[in-house]
Amino acid sequence: MTMIEVQQLKKSFGDLEVLKGVNFTVEPGEVVAIIGPSGSGKSTMLRSLIHLEEVNSGSILFQGQALVENGKYANANTIKKITSRMGMVFQHFNLFPHLTVQQNLELAPKAVKKESVADIRKRSEVILNKVGLLDKANVLPANLSGGQKQRVAIARALMLNPDILLFDEPTSALDPELTGEVLRVMQQLAQEKITMVVVTHEMNFARDVADRVIFMDKGEIAESGTPAQIFGNPQLDRTKAFLSRVEK
Amino acid sequence: MSVDYLLQIIGPILEGAKNTILLFLIAIVLSIPLGFGITLLANSSIKLLSWLAHTFIYITRGTPLLLQLLFFCFGLPMLPIIGDYLVFDRFVAAGLAFILNYAAYFAEIFRGGLLSIDKGQHEAAQVLGLSKWQTMTKVIVPQMIRVALPSLANESITLVKDTALLYAVAVPELLHFAQTAVNRDFTITPFVLAGIIYLLMTLVLTLLFKGLERRFKFE
Ligand SMILES: Nc1ncnc2c1ncn2[C@@H]1O[C@H](COP(=O)(O)OP(=O)(O)OP(=O)(O)O)[C@@H](O)[C@H]1O
Ligand SMILES: [Mg+2]
Repeated sequence: MTMIEVQQLKKSFGDLEVLKGVNFTVEPGEVVAIIGPSGSGKSTMLRSLIHLEEVNSGSILFQGQALVENGKYANANTIKKITSRMGMVFQHFNLFPHLTVQQNLELAPKAVKKESVADIRKRSEVILNKVGLLDKANVLPANLSGGQKQRVAIARALMLNPDILLFDEPTSALDPELTGEVLRVMQQLAQEKITMVVVTHEMNFARDVADRVIFMDKGEIAESGTPAQIFGNPQLDRTKAFLSRVEK
Repeated sequence: MSVDYLLQIIGPILEGAKNTILLFLIAIVLSIPLGFGITLLANSSIKLLSWLAHTFIYITRGTPLLLQLLFFCFGLPMLPIIGDYLVFDRFVAAGLAFILNYAAYFAEIFRGGLLSIDKGQHEAAQVLGLSKWQTMTKVIVPQMIRVALPSLANESITLVKDTALLYAVAVPELLHFAQTAVNRDFTITPFVLAGIIYLLMTLVLTLLFKGLERRFKFE
């Protein structure tokens, strides 16, 4: 079943129309990269999917179930149930600074209380190991590099076994030499067929890892296709202009 | 400054210090949670509650504590109709004034602490499925306390010294006993002794808050 279906999504901040009727779908196992100029509405669109922003009209269906349908939101329980199936990784990590790495991972699963503490502990170790940070389990976030912080943030999102992971410029706050370690983790997730929607300025990631690339401009999807289509043979002048600007 | 004299006045002065410490403890223990409650009301989306909390903070911080003390000790019983039911023990009335006054200051400190927390913390908690209550208790409040601790320490020390205002409403406390002894014996020794006792109390508080700040450090 289609993972996410977005129809005619519109959103304004006051007089500023930020999303002007966005349509797209995400299939299970797919990695979708969203690229586009600053202010084109990429973050707003991504944040709407997980209900960090409320849209004015349009629909968002998650595995066929409506989060919002024609501008009307589902009840609080349904919203919570749907968004609990999603994970999100932020540009600025948003780790909890007063908790150790492992406590950051375990806070939500313990709060949700679906598993025993022992199971949660076991899984947090497996996942920390996977992102290469098991040795940092008892360290506070302030003592980590940016790349390590972002890997912890990814691990934290994975703890809830989400069906889809949303990334908003996960490497934009990092020093260039630290982006690689984060992108490698994301690439690994892609190989495990975890569904991902990634807003990114990393054209290499979009080209090499994404199954599909969406180019957003001025609040709408201007063009979308396989990386080969978008990077090799862009149809629109504004796509070409954007790509030549970021790939110089 | 003879040892005999010191021994003679230390008893009554410590008796006074007992009231000072008692008032301090009651005021701090009750005004901190009350202050936090007022912060939550001030941040409430219900306009009336938020307005009430802000008005309370404004009035309490905008008038002298001494005036509030006099009002609670002598003014309340004079109110028409309900006044008869508002005759409290002097110490209780003064305690109430202290609790409300300090709650307003603590509320402002907590409000500042809450404002200083990045909105990304709320967003991370939300996407991780934490409830509002869990977000508050597990994510926001621990960080708010860290931000608020230095100001809390400051206010607590001010509170120790403000207890001397009990003098004005004739509740016997440390300063009262010292003053009595000075007048009676024509020596400033009791004042020095009282000063030392205040300093000891603020020293204990300073050390306590230093320890707390170390515990709540995240770096
Ligand atoms: N909370 C908000 N209130 C008002 N305007 C907002 C808000 N959030 C975003 N905007 C505006 O909406 C527009 C789209 O913002 P958005 O963050 O979605 O763009 P973006 O494509 O993610 O840009 P960037 O690449 O810089 O992150 C911008 O003009 C921005 O200023
Ligand atoms: Mg953005």
